Formats: sequence, structure tokens, C-alpha cells
Amino acid sequence: MSTDDESFHPLGQEWEDELETMLDDTEYDSDLGMEMAKDAMRVTKGELSEADFHEKYHEDVMDEFGVDDRPTEEAYEEAKKNAGGFAEMLKSFDGDGDESRRDVMKKMGVGAAAVGLGAWGTAEGGQPNVADESGGHSTEAHREGDTQWGMAIDLERCDGCLSCVRACAQENNLDQGVNWMYVLDYEDGGADTSQNRLVRPCQHCTDAPCEKVCPTTARHTRDKDGLVLTDYDVCIGCRYCQVACPYGVNYFQWDEPDVSTEEIAAEHDGEGDMMVDSRGRWVDSRSPRGTMSKCTMCPSRQDGFSGEDKIGTSACEDACPPDAIQFGNMRDENSDPQRYIENPSRGRALRDLGDKETTAPSLNAIEEDIADADADLASVLEASEDLDEETLRTMKAIEIVTEDFGEGDADSVDYEVHINDIFDLLEEHGLDLDSQEVLVELDLADEPDEGEEFEGADEGDAQDAIDDYDGRPSSSFKLLEDVGTNPNVVYFGNEPGPNAEQVEGPSAYADISYERADGSEPNLVDNRKEEILDEGTVGDAGVSL
Amino acid sequence: MSTKTPSKADILRPIGTFSKKYLAVYSVAALGLIAFLIAWAYQLQKGLIVTGLGDWGTGGGATWGLYIGAFIWWVGVAHGGIILSASVRLLGMDRYMPVARIAEMTTIGGLSAAGFYILVHMGRPDRMVTSVLGHFHITVNNSPLVWDVTVITAYFVLSATYLGLTIRYDVNRLRDDLPDKFEPIYKIITFGYSEKEDEIIQRMVWWLAAAVIIMAPLLLHGGVIPWLFSLLPAMPAWTGGIQGPMFLSIALMSAISGVMIISYTFRRVYNWEHIITDDIFRGLLLWLGFFTLLFLWFQLQSVLNGVFLGPLNTAHAAEGKMAHPAYQVAMTMIFLTLVYIFLQAIRPALFSKTRALIASCAILAGTLTEKILFVVEGFFHPTFDIYTATPGTYFPSLIEILSLVGTASLVALLFLNLAKLVPVVELHAIEHLTGGHDHEHGHEETTKTETEPEVKA
Repeated sequence: MSTDDESFHPLGQEWEDELETMLDDTEYDSDLGMEMAKDAMRVTKGELSEADFHEKYHEDVMDEFGVDDRPTEEAYEEAKKNAGGFAEMLKSFDGDGDESRRDVMKKMGVGAAAVGLGAWGTAEGGQPNVADESGGHSTEAHREGDTQWGMAIDLERCDGCLSCVRACAQENNLDQGVNWMYVLDYEDGGADTSQNRLVRPCQHCTDAPCEKVCPTTARHTRDKDGLVLTDYDVCIGCRYCQVACPYGVNYFQWDEPDVSTEEIAAEHDGEGDMMVDSRGRWVDSRSPRGTMSKCTMCPSRQDGFSGEDKIGTSACEDACPPDAIQFGNMRDENSDPQRYIENPSRGRALRDLGDKETTAPSLNAIEEDIADADADLASVLEASEDLDEETLRTMKAIEIVTEDFGEGDADSVDYEVHINDIFDLLEEHGLDLDSQEVLVELDLADEPDEGEEFEGADEGDAQDAIDDYDGRPSSSFKLLEDVGTNPNVVYFGNEPGPNAEQVEGPSAYADISYERADGSEPNLVDNRKEEILDEGTVGDAGVSL
Repeated sequence: MSTKTPSKADILRPIGTFSKKYLAVYSVAALGLIAFLIAWAYQLQKGLIVTGLGDWGTGGGATWGLYIGAFIWWVGVAHGGIILSASVRLLGMDRYMPVARIAEMTTIGGLSAAGFYILVHMGRPDRMVTSVLGHFHITVNNSPLVWDVTVITAYFVLSATYLGLTIRYDVNRLRDDLPDKFEPIYKIITFGYSEKEDEIIQRMVWWLAAAVIIMAPLLLHGGVIPWLFSLLPAMPAWTGGIQGPMFLSIALMSAISGVMIISYTFRRVYNWEHIITDDIFRGLLLWLGFFTLLFLWFQLQSVLNGVFLGPLNTAHAAEGKMAHPAYQVAMTMIFLTLVYIFLQAIRPALFSKTRALIASCAILAGTLTEKILFVVEGFFHPTFDIYTATPGTYFPSLIEILSLVGTASLVALLFLNLAKLVPVVELHAIEHLTGGHDHEHGHEETTKTETEPEVKA
């Protein structure tokens, strides 16, 4: 890296000049852009605070662009907590979201975007991440767009009931043994007695090997949301995708599928036929004969064909009794999976205490129970059967560690709303949950020393309370990450090692049946070759190589 | 036979004769091909479920099997054939000139069989043009399968051009002795021919040969074909740089064996002892031994890299491979052949054409077994080896096995047809044999007498 030039940027004068030329091409003020860029560098070096940076340029930006959506000082404090704080801030210049990123950058006139971000990476990672933009493992890694569907799966919550496998087979009218979703227990040697279970949908890799090797582009990543899909009208059935996938998630349609397209279409009389997506490509439901299929992450749902409320959900997620699967947008920090990833023990506790359909305390029951009780904590807890001290402590702790509690459009917000309703009920009853007395009693705040002011709830204590409630996951991982596939499924729980070998799980595939559009109700099949395919083999020798 | 002098009449003999034996062989080959075509039609009707294949992973099967194994085997035979022929022209190995055209025709036959396998293997062969060619400009940047189809097509064109150019010379000179019923074909072959072009054609053929030799390790069986497997990160049985040399050695072994078998047949049927001499078989057998040695050396390299201190996925794959009975049988067969080849090199009395033929068949069977096993082993020992159903089960179905008969018949038919159309031994070879009698002839004389009885036997 050059040090002897006058450049403020660590990548040197040449890079800087190039950016200036780029700015000159726009209708906006290059000098302002470069000036901002210079100061952005100072921010990275700690010579200038982010807040001061915003302050300094607010007026200029207003003059130049007529808009400055960058955070104000209050908003800044919040934005700071977000991982992509500066990037988010820059993104906020984008008015209508219709332009390409390059256009947006030009429009912003902010060389700071490129210069500053490059510098940011340099300062933080020791490597100029500008180079990463084009020099990554694959061109796919940097797909633009705000949406990347994916999952966070809590393996320690999965009870191995195979409801997800069943729901997937049902929703997609799959042949027996075509287990787009698959759940397995395994042994990994050693003395580890904790749960070893894996839930295996397609990983919808950002650098999908299956897509790279496809000789036809049938296997492709959908631009708008990163789903890795198969165009059944293009696929030639060479099966190279199945060969290249390290996870073994592909299932070929060796013969005519059991359920016809007419039957599938008839099952869906609303918008969409559960087969053709919003682009008019046939990518959903079971594949036709001679083509490849795999978990699709439900594009018909994501395209709104199953109703607004099904966008951002998958059949397996909906069906999971313990809520082990969080489906959502991996590029949205407020999505279910990202919230879960940010604080998995909060995700666990929230579901247990907020899902009124199953395990959460009932609002009506509490209301009845405490009707005659006094308004102090001890009386309320004593009167209520559903509410004990640990429950209430954890509920309050969740609120303390959660920003915008009860707001947003993630599925888990419903749980927060339920907890909020309980809080409202208790407040109405006269119990002030934010009072020093209650918070200290619940171990969520420290008693102030004499002469000092009460500082309110302690986030550390709150997190401890949450961790104690349902436990923290032993680890989090992405499957075979070192292969370089860049998967979009994040797991919590034990990662299977190289010696892991599947063992019998709590539920047998053969014991579970599923309904299909043709009215049939077959059982799930585990080993497709032995139970289904061998019957069609001409001259099955009954031996194997 | 030592008194016989090679002549034009010798190489024209297949064209001018028509025997019951020929008809019988032709019928058998045609039946073999038709039988497989019917089987393929059934497969098209029912789907690929008629094969023994399945989904690797939870499905308990192997995604690819005999079709792909035989595909790369035929491509190997083809590529080895053209390399053999190119070496003759480029390196001046005149000794093998009489079998150069047989090697070129083997290439055309092998590529036809391989191309046929691509179609047979696909779930939707009807989309070959729309889906593959339609997106070629995109997929050629990524997919090793597209690279594969590209180089195979390129080599088909290259080989056919090569063969076509050298045939022009012969057809023009032998035209009066060739049957009139094929006149239109000969007209096309010799279109615009003038004797002035001979020298230019020679140069063109030399450059084509140079291209073949240079590109063989990089773009043929030493590169693109093994990349179809070796570039995939999660199948340790396939991964690794050794696959390039390995595939190339197999290609050359298979091609030399194939050319020996076909040459043996032609020699026997048309009494070409003085053209395709024992000397040629001895020489080819030594080359076969050399490439077999290389092959076994590469095999050793590849398995040793897994079994000594892992890593685990490679170790599992290598152990699985070594423990497989079919692998052991194939390797033993190939090794014993190698032993024989070296023994007969030390003691020439051990040589006989029948033994050379047996050696060739053993090598072909061994390499075909190795190829099919190689394909299947990848699915049996993946890095993500967690599923109970992995390793799965696979055994070729009758239809898959019939495909071997079908493609072998296809290649046989190609030779049977070409033999009636053009000389399978080029005129240059005869000119060379009659003109330049001195090279290596003495050697031939001394060995011939000893081996003659065994040939009869």
C-alpha cells in the first residue's frame, strides 16, 4: 500500500482520483463528495465522531440533494448498535429503491460511500474490502437486493417429530421418498450426551455449486430474493446439480410423478397455481418427470400467491410445533431469523412465554386469578397460577433487551404483543413493572447505593435471566461452511462432525402419512431407492457395486 | 507370408469382398444396436427409473452410474485413439502408420458412442438444443459439463477433418478400383481435389496432429474430462490434481487396447500379416505396458494420499475404494497384464498375438470397471457422510448393461460400413512399406517365425 502520496485514502492516490472522476461525471458537487470522503476516513481513524460527521454535513447535503435521511443524533445512538450502521446510513439516501446501487451512489454524489466504506473496511479488518466486491470466491456472492430468504434453525428445540417433513411433502405434492425437508438424529462418537439432531432443508447457498455447474441455467438464483430454484421447463435432467451439491438435498424425478399438474392446479383456485412463480417460470411444487427438484423455500408463498400473511413463511416453519425453524429475510436485521441469531436464548424464551396457542401464560386466566389480589408483586404472583416469579422475570427481561418491543412485522412480534398485553393487564391492576421495587425484586436491577439515583433495569441481568430460562445454544454454525457455499441457513446446537452417522430418530418416516392433491395419503419414505425406485429397475439384481 | 509385398490390392480387399461371415457379423452388430435402441425407447417411455440409479444422500442411491462411467470410458478410447494417430504423424513413428487410420476411426466411433451416452443419460434429451445451446454463452463460463460437451464437439470436428483430409489422397488415387455405387460419396470426399494440394494437406495434417498432442493433456482426457469430477469440493473420491494424469493414462491404455483388438481382427480376416505386422503388436504392447505402469503409479498416489493420516473425508473415500472387490479385481487384472507385458519384453518367446489380444481385452475390461466404479464411489463416500442411506446401493440394470452392447455394436457397425467404403489402412502406409523396406524389417523377420504357430492356434 502506498504511503508516500498525499492521498487520504489507504488505497492510494490512484484510487482516489478514480473516484473523483466518477463524481465529476455526476451532476452533483465533487468537492463536497471528496471532502465528505476525507472526513469519513477521519471517522474510521477515530479523529472525528460519527455524530459530528453528520452534524457537519447536514446543511450541505440538504442544499445539494434536498434530502438528508441520515440519522439525527437521537437516531444515531440506535443506528450505532446495528452492525451495518454506516452502510445503513448511506443506504438511506436511496429514495425510491428503484435505482441500481451504482446510480444511487452517483446520485448521492458521496464518494464517501465508496471511499468511506472502503476505508471503513481497511480500518476495521486490516484488508481493503473494496477488492472483495469483485474478487470474491464467486460472482454470486454479491447479489444485490434487500431480500435473501433463509432460515435460523434451533436444533436443540427440534423434537424430531417430522411435522416439517410432512408439511413440505404435503404442500409440494411430493412423491414418496422425495424428502426436500429431512430431519435426522446422529451419533458423533465420544461422551457427548446432548441432543444430536439435524434439520436439513436446501441451504439456498449464495455460492451454490449446483447452480454453477448447471449446463442450462435451469438451476438459478432468483434475483429478487436469492432463492435457489430449478426451472422445470429448462432442466435437461443431467443431474450434475445433485452431483455437485455437498449436502445431498436434490431429488430427481425418475418417473412420472404421482400427482398431476392438473390436480395441483385444481387444489389452488386462488391466485397462482403453486407451480409458476411471479416471473412466470415453473419452479414450485414437485418436478415433472426427468427433471431435478429440491426444497424451494416456498416461492409461491413469497410471491404472495398464498395470501399476504404467508409472505415470509415456509410450510415447514408453519408446521413446526416447537417453533425450531425461523424463516425470513437474512438481510433484514428485524426478521425472525436475524433476531434469533442476534439473541437465540431470547428467541427461545420469547416463544415459550409469548405463544398463546401453546405454552404462554393465558391472559384470561391471569386476569381471573389476580382479580382479588393486592397490587404488590408477591400477591400477584401468589394469586396467578400461570405466572410465577421466573416467568415474569423472563418476560420482563425480554422486554428490557428488546429494542422496539412489540413493533415490526416479524412473526415473533406476535409473541411480544402477547407479553405486552400481560404487562398492560398487570399495570392496570396497579403493579408498576418498571418501578425500582419490582425490578430489584425480580433481580433485573441493582439496588442503588445510598445517595445515588436508581439507574433502571440492568441489561446484563436481564440477559442472564433469559439465558437461565431456556438455556443458551451450545453453538451456532453453518453446514459445511468451509466448502465455500455460503449457505443461508444458520443452525443452533451441535454441529455434526466428520464422523457423524445417522441413527434412528424419535419418529419413524414410515409412521407418518401426508395428504396430496390427488386425494392419496401415502406414508413418508426414508430410503427412496430401496422402497420405491428398485421396483422400477429393469432386472434389479438385488446386489450392489 | 514373408514373401508377400504389401500392395494396393491388399488394402482394397475389404471393399471388394462380401462374405457370409461379414453379413453374420454385421447382423449381430445391428441386432445389438437395435436391441439397445428398443431398450432406450422403453427408458424414454418409463423414465430413468428403469436404471439402477437413485438419489445420493437420504435416497440411498448413486446419481450417476454406468452411463457416465461408459461415457468417459468411450471418450477416453476416442481421445487415446487420436493421440495415437497424431503421434504417428507428428513424431514420425512410421512403424505404426498401418494402424493410424484405424486409430482415427476408433476416435470417430468412440466419440459417437460417447455422444450417444450423453443423450441416453439425460432425463430430458429432447431439450438438448433449446436448453444447452440456448444458454451456452452463459453456462460455458461455469459448467464443467458444458466445457466437456464443447471439447468433445471440437475434437469430433478435428478428428473428422483429420480423417477426411487423409482419405482424399487415397480415394483420388484408388478411385478406379473403388465401387461405383458409392460414387456420390467419393465425389464429395474428393471435391475440388488436385495433386497440388497433397503437400498442403500434409502440412495441415501435421498441424492438426500438433494441436491434438498439445491440447491432449490440457483440454482432452488430461483436463476437461477429469475436471467434471475433480473440481467438485465435496466428493473426496474424485477430488485432486492426480485425476488429470490418471484419466489420460486410462485413455491411452484403452485406446491402444482397442486399436490392437480391431487391428487384430482386420489382419486375421483380410490376411494382412505383412501389413499389420507382429512388430506393430509388439510395439503397441510395450506402449500399453508403459501407460499401464503410469496408471498403476497414479492409482497408488491417489489412494496413498487418503489412507495415511487422512484428512477424514479423503481417508474414508480411499479406504472405501481400496476395500471394494471390483476395484481389487480390476487392479489385479491390470497388474497381471503389466507383468505379462514386461515378461514378454524380456523373453520375446512369450509374445503371441492371441496373448496380446487377451491383454488388450483385460485392460479394456479393467479400465471400464475402474471408470464405472470411479463414478459410483464418489456418491458412496461424500464429505457429508452422515446419512444412513449413504453409501447407497447401485448395480447397473439390464438396460444399462445393454447400452454397452449397443454402443460397442455402434462402433463395430461404423467400422463395418467404413471398411466397405474407404481403405482402413492408408495408401501412405503401403507406399511407405514398399518404398522404405529397410527400417526395422530385420527385427520383424527374426521374430515372425517363432510366433507364427501360436497365431494359428
